Amino acid sequence: MNAPFLIAKGITKRFGALTALSEVDLEIRSGEVLALLGDNGAGKSTFIKVLAGAHSPSDGELLIDGVPVAFSSPKDAASAGIATIFQELALSENLTISENVFLGRELKRSVLGVPFLRRKEMKERVAGLLKELEAHISDPQAPVGSLSGGQRQAVAICRALNLNAKLVIMDEPTAALAVAETRKVLSLTRRLAERGCAVVLISHNMADVFEVADRIIVFRRGRKVAEKMRSDTNPEEIVSYITGAHPDVRALEKTN
Amino acid sequence: MRQLKDGIFSLNGRELALLAACTLAIIVFSVASPYFGTPGNAATILRNSVELLLVGLGMTLLLAMGGIDVSVGIVMGLAAICVGRALEANTDPVLTALVGPIIGALLGLVTAAVVVLGRIPAIVGTLGLLGIYRTAIFILLGGQWLSGLPTGLTVLLGTSLLGVPIAAFVIVLAYIAVWVALRRTPFGLHLLAIGNSEEKARLSGIPVAKVRFATFIISGALAGLAATFYVASYRNVEMTIGSTLALDAIAAVVLGGTSILGGKCSLVGTVLGVLLLRILQNGLLLMGVPSLWQPVVTGGLLIGVLSVEVLSARLPMSPLGWARR
Repeated sequence: MNAPFLIAKGITKRFGALTALSEVDLEIRSGEVLALLGDNGAGKSTFIKVLAGAHSPSDGELLIDGVPVAFSSPKDAASAGIATIFQELALSENLTISENVFLGRELKRSVLGVPFLRRKEMKERVAGLLKELEAHISDPQAPVGSLSGGQRQAVAICRALNLNAKLVIMDEPTAALAVAETRKVLSLTRRLAERGCAVVLISHNMADVFEVADRIIVFRRGRKVAEKMRSDTNPEEIVSYITGAHPDVRALEKTN
Repeated sequence: MRQLKDGIFSLNGRELALLAACTLAIIVFSVASPYFGTPGNAATILRNSVELLLVGLGMTLLLAMGGIDVSVGIVMGLAAICVGRALEANTDPVLTALVGPIIGALLGLVTAAVVVLGRIPAIVGTLGLLGIYRTAIFILLGGQWLSGLPTGLTVLLGTSLLGVPIAAFVIVLAYIAVWVALRRTPFGLHLLAIGNSEEKARLSGIPVAKVRFATFIISGALAGLAATFYVASYRNVEMTIGSTLALDAIAAVVLGGTSILGGKCSLVGTVLGVLLLRILQNGLLLMGVPSLWQPVVTGGLLIGVLSVEVLSARLPMSPLGWARR
């Protein structure tokens, strides 16, 4: 297995007296889908916000390719190659697919000092990406408002790829989708990993997780309580980690 | 759904309907009044549309961004006073013509500072400025009209190039410049993204504050350019200058199909909205309806169009008023 893209060491996040994350160690590898599981309030969201630069950790450090990094904003994380696809997709419904994919980082050419959009190139690039992802969206000029939930996920994934993201964080990508759409997004997720991206997937859906994840990490009450390869575990065991019924978790929580 | 044809003069359904409304109004007024359908009156209508068109272009950008400026008329008034004073001082005509846009842009900067830096909703911030500027006009004019100003700017209107007045060139150029900025540059995309959702725009890495500043400054500069035209053709600045201009501009822009909630706009629609409004105002006047009633017509049209949009579910409505999707 290749060297991890990102290593988190002893990540702790306190909000006043509340400890939302306590001493989390984990590794994220390129080409791998890592699923983060846990009940509401277990610390998953806080952890990905630390990764995405939205929170800075109270303690601990992040290493990217072995080099310590400190993000003070989501922009820092983005320039380090970390893209987050939020549950509430940050897409502009009134703009086209290609405009959304390039929004904020448009290709342009300067004519007499006026930055003109290179619309044709952007369109072609997006058409290529959509084809590569087998997203089955034929027209990159369609407004995003006319797309289904799954197609919007595909656009958000295109956007991440177009930024040359090395780590894509997906927060509940299938939460609001119909069955067929869910299948599509899961296969997109796999394809991202096959392209060499590291993928962090947050989901409550055990079936989705067991379908796409290579490795599963369970959070409970701000701690990492389990880390399993998918092949070494089963949904029942993971659920017992999440609810705290598993003997290992009980032992851990007793000692503290 | 957004209009996907975005050619510089392409028409969608809404715009064709407006064109039909303009045509209908022209036919009705021509029948009703012998004075309406004359070349002289057509020229008057076009002449009266100039300031509104320029201000309307700026208002289109502001509404598309989810902003608004109810002080544009008074901004034009303040700029007009400066242009008038420059005329009185016999400044070079080219410089005098530039005074308007420059003062307008500066006032746009002030508006942006209040609304963007102060984090005040645009409608409230500009309403506050409206109150302040109105008194400023009073003080600057000292209770007296600027009237009988020198003819220094008449060249702007009088000179022709290839048989077309310079003024027409300036207006067409302003339209093309705004269209290019909106449809062909990153600025336009960013503006529309902010109009759709400021939060999402920020998450996409758009410099929201910068774009909002730029839009208020452009709108101010266009109001200032309108002031130059105003002074050039009327050669006076009265106390009530621009008092209904913001209402007219918002009505024309909304008529044209620009969403009052932002994210969607039509520049062709704005041009047609301006023409329809001015045709109605002119026609009613010729039919003997006192000009006192003009704001009633404009306000009624604005409310009517928005009601139809709400009823036809083009705009979502919450129990508390306007809501975002």
